[in-house]
Amino acid sequence: MITIKNLTKKYHPGVFALQKVSMKIEAGEFVSLVGVSGAGKTTLIKILIAAERADEGRIVLGGWDITTIRKSEIPYLRRQIGVVFQDFKLLEKKTVFENIAFAMQVCGASPNRIKKLVPEIIEIVNLKDRMKSYPSQLSGGEKQRVAIARALVHGPKILVADEPTGNLDVNNSKEILDLFLNINKIGITVLLVTHNKDLVDSVKKRVVVLENGRVIFDKDKAKYVL
Amino acid sequence: MFLFTFYRIIKFALQGFWRNFWLSVVTITVIVLSVVSMNFLIIINRVTESAAEVIKERIDVSIYFKNTIEEEDVLRAKNYIDSLSQVRSVEYVSKEDALDNFKNIHKNDVKILEALDELEINPFAATLVVKANDIGDYEKILEYINTSEHGENILDKNFGTQRENIEKIQNISANVMRFGVVVSVIFIIIAILIVFNTIKLAIYAQREEIGVMKLVGASNTFISMPYLVEGVLYALFGCIIAFLLLIPLINFLQSYITNFFAGDVVNIRGYFHENIVFIFGSQLGAIIVLNIIASGIAVRRYLKV
Repeated sequence: MITIKNLTKKYHPGVFALQKVSMKIEAGEFVSLVGVSGAGKTTLIKILIAAERADEGRIVLGGWDITTIRKSEIPYLRRQIGVVFQDFKLLEKKTVFENIAFAMQVCGASPNRIKKLVPEIIEIVNLKDRMKSYPSQLSGGEKQRVAIARALVHGPKILVADEPTGNLDVNNSKEILDLFLNINKIGITVLLVTHNKDLVDSVKKRVVVLENGRVIFDKDKAKYVL
Repeated sequence: MFLFTFYRIIKFALQGFWRNFWLSVVTITVIVLSVVSMNFLIIINRVTESAAEVIKERIDVSIYFKNTIEEEDVLRAKNYIDSLSQVRSVEYVSKEDALDNFKNIHKNDVKILEALDELEINPFAATLVVKANDIGDYEKILEYINTSEHGENILDKNFGTQRENIEKIQNISANVMRFGVVVSVIFIIIAILIVFNTIKLAIYAQREEIGVMKLVGASNTFISMPYLVEGVLYALFGCIIAFLLLIPLINFLQSYITNFFAGDVVNIRGYFHENIVFIFGSQLGAIIVLNIIASGIAVRRYLKV
């Protein structure tokens, strides 16, 4: 489903963020992408969501070559890929409901669809009783669940999580991981970018390790290797 | 879907407008000043044009003949002048009429009338009062008369002070117009810069929302449109307020001008009334286009969609 071939990105002459990275991720897979800071994980995610352009190589997503994507097509690509970040990126002046509804509003969803879909998604992430709360009234784990709910509203085929547990304690991290596994069970491809060894080891799914912009390890049902 | 999107773009634009309320007020104020100054130019132009027309209408040249010249020769000169294509009308004022006119003007001044009686002869000359088709024709007409056989019969001509008056009015008008154009251009430039800055600050204030919008796949058009609409709103409010202010201003100026010209010669109220759609439409259109350009540059530069 995602084919990455010889992907190369350099920010400065001679300083490579990614060097000839190649891998294939099948639809419905759960992949943990690990590596130390500066290994190229975030650069790979940025290229995947067309926030940056690769210098060489290709990423093809369901027949769609992202490396040559037109500017006007980027929004449609991003509706196919749900993304969550370590810092949640929630709007502080909006409630849980409004934060999720906002993602639908700005993409042209009708009020009726928003009214129907948002509570359903909030229920999936188990935040039904926090629907009217503001981000400042939520715990870190709850905030990340709101971010996950928002990433799911467009029914994406892929969910990319960039250090989603970086700001969370062990229990909350476990809860978020369980949520990702459940999301993966319904057929959504999950790409989990993390430093968290315990988290990766507990998943027992495919692990890809990046080092200095290169793939140095790629194995199914593996553990964190560094 | 289009309707929801349209509604949300307007809603977001209004939110941006209210969120930076005082900045919006300043932006609108400068637009109001630009529009008022532009219309002030139109008023000045109308007033000076009309004033020049009034004076042109009153201007004429009096040609005084020597006292020894017979009436017959004066009338021949009249026919000659009348035949010139530049002449609109020639009026003959005989010696007797000139004397009567003088007596009539000074009927209350006994000393002047007594002095006139003591003279025993009529000191006034026969006169031709000439009106030209155009103010520029007077020079030519006088030249034709001077070089004709009637030239040596002429005692004097009074042309000059009225021409100077017209030139003065035209000079003042041109200077005021130049000053007005400079002031208007300055206001318009300030308005464009302020709109640009307001939109820049609005983008900065909403950077988190913009980030989320980009993240969740909002289209570039949807993200940028509210800022362009905000620019249009500033233009719309600015022009409406300016025209609401102009109504009493024009009424006040009209009564002042009517008093000054002693009549309804310069009708700026009527002019605005007749051309309101064109004046308002063209100015609103121009300000909207300028604001869209200013907002568009800010969006391209700072929104990075």
